[in-house]
Amino acid sequence: MRLAVRELMAGAMLTALTLSIGLHAQEFKVGSKTVQVHGFGTQGFVHTNDNNWLTMNTSNIGSGAFTDMGLNMGMQITPKLHIGGQFYDRKLGKLGDWEPLMDWAMMDYRVKPWLGFRVGKVKTVLGLFTDTQDMDFANTFALMPQSVYPIDLRDASIAHEGGDVYGKEKLPNKLGSIAYTAYGGRRADNMHSGYPYLLTGIAGITLTSYGGPVFGGDFRWNTPVRGLTVGMSRLNEMITGKGSYNGQLGIPAQPNYQENSQHDWTNQYYGKYVKDKLHLESEYRRYYRDQTIFSGITWVVTDVRGWYMGGGYTVDKWLELGSYYSHYRIIPSGGPGISDSYPDAQRHDFDKVVTAKFTVNKYTYLKVEGHFMDGNATALYPAGFYANVNPNGFADNTNALVVRAGFSF
Amino acid sequence: MKKLRFVILLLAAASIFAVHAQAQVIVIANPGVKATDISKNDLRDVFTGAATALPGGGNVVPILLKAGTVHEEFLQAYIGKNDTAYRAGWRSLVFSGQASMPKSLDTDTAVVEFVAHNAGAIGYIGKSTAHEGVKVLAVR
Repeated sequence: MRLAVRELMAGAMLTALTLSIGLHAQEFKVGSKTVQVHGFGTQGFVHTNDNNWLTMNTSNIGSGAFTDMGLNMGMQITPKLHIGGQFYDRKLGKLGDWEPLMDWAMMDYRVKPWLGFRVGKVKTVLGLFTDTQDMDFANTFALMPQSVYPIDLRDASIAHEGGDVYGKEKLPNKLGSIAYTAYGGRRADNMHSGYPYLLTGIAGITLTSYGGPVFGGDFRWNTPVRGLTVGMSRLNEMITGKGSYNGQLGIPAQPNYQENSQHDWTNQYYGKYVKDKLHLESEYRRYYRDQTIFSGITWVVTDVRGWYMGGGYTVDKWLELGSYYSHYRIIPSGGPGISDSYPDAQRHDFDKVVTAKFTVNKYTYLKVEGHFMDGNATALYPAGFYANVNPNGFADNTNALVVRAGFSF
Repeated sequence: MKKLRFVILLLAAASIFAVHAQAQVIVIANPGVKATDISKNDLRDVFTGAATALPGGGNVVPILLKAGTVHEEFLQAYIGKNDTAYRAGWRSLVFSGQASMPKSLDTDTAVVEFVAHNAGAIGYIGKSTAHEGVKVLAVR
């Protein structure tokens, strides 16, 4: 019944989007104010030569269980005050499950260029693309570098319920400008995300809630070198996961399973350069989590370090070519977490990617992308490859073809 | 000597063409906007959603042309993107809740009309379009 309701809601959203596409972006009036309606959607197909990837059955013919969409409404009430909200829905293999989410809903009051406030459910600013990673139409790649922007863990950092303080200020002596965002609030993950899915498969843990307080900030400098931006972000979290554990790992079953982070933070450093038809980006992210699990019986440390460098070049108005190298590694910890006993292939994933993006018109596009992955990074923490859909184990390396078409209006 | 003369003539022609190309678009604003000129950087910031006010105070609202030569020329000269990439940038702001999509109008005349009657409005038109009721901002 729940699934039927979800499918109905997803169908309603898709219908709304399709109708809107025919009519392009929509506007209507509330009093004297204009409400804008925008939307986007994508359909992907993934084939791998080995290993099922991103919870899809990709290794035979391939899988098209890779769909997402968003529907957005916004209104500029005064020059300084903007309100809006967005629904988001997706199906990515076993993730998402067509459960429509309130992606964000907020009020934005910009007092001065250097001081603004956002309140509500707000997209989290973390590095270059966390808050815009769903906007496939604006990105060169069909899949963002998975070492820093894992699509299966999208929910982990996409938004927080709380508030932001932000601003931008020009520096004297032609030193460019700086922009900052500081935020605090609460994160609440969807239960159809990668981490809960992983736990059901490898540990017999069924989470019913996962989230907690978060706070952090971002600082970026638009340097005097035109087109060059550098910056850093920090995210601190105090996460509690609750659910049940069925005894699968030998530890006695726990009907009231709980896990709590002791230290949980992400540091991200980045740079971006844009000149004419060329853009280059590079980011480094370290994610560290030290948490008690099985209701305090034991603990686990996760230390993940990822970076990428890549870019794109617009050859013509209908063609952009891009490439990146994505480097993901799980660092062995001193605790009972990720140890040296795991084979190296299970502790890294080095992904070399080439992409062609074809712009059909101002609303639609198609991307064709090749991934050449060394390692599967299957040591405990989710990184694209899940035991749940690979019951016969993993090959060390995987090549993948990703085709993704989309629209936005 | 002939070669040198040819090169000089070519450069002169190219520079005239470059000036000519930029001069086809003028930036206009509602008479209530305090500024009389605008830097290229500020213009780019306003028309990409990075800024909603001009230095020295005053909120401004960008008004776009839907398509056409003047629109393409404006994007080429001041934004450095084609129309698809430019609108994708705006949609990124819209879908992350940071802005509303700017109003896009069909003709230069409609832009003049809208800018003349809406406080803070700033737009661009072809130089030859009549523009009574608005002020022209010099781009430096």
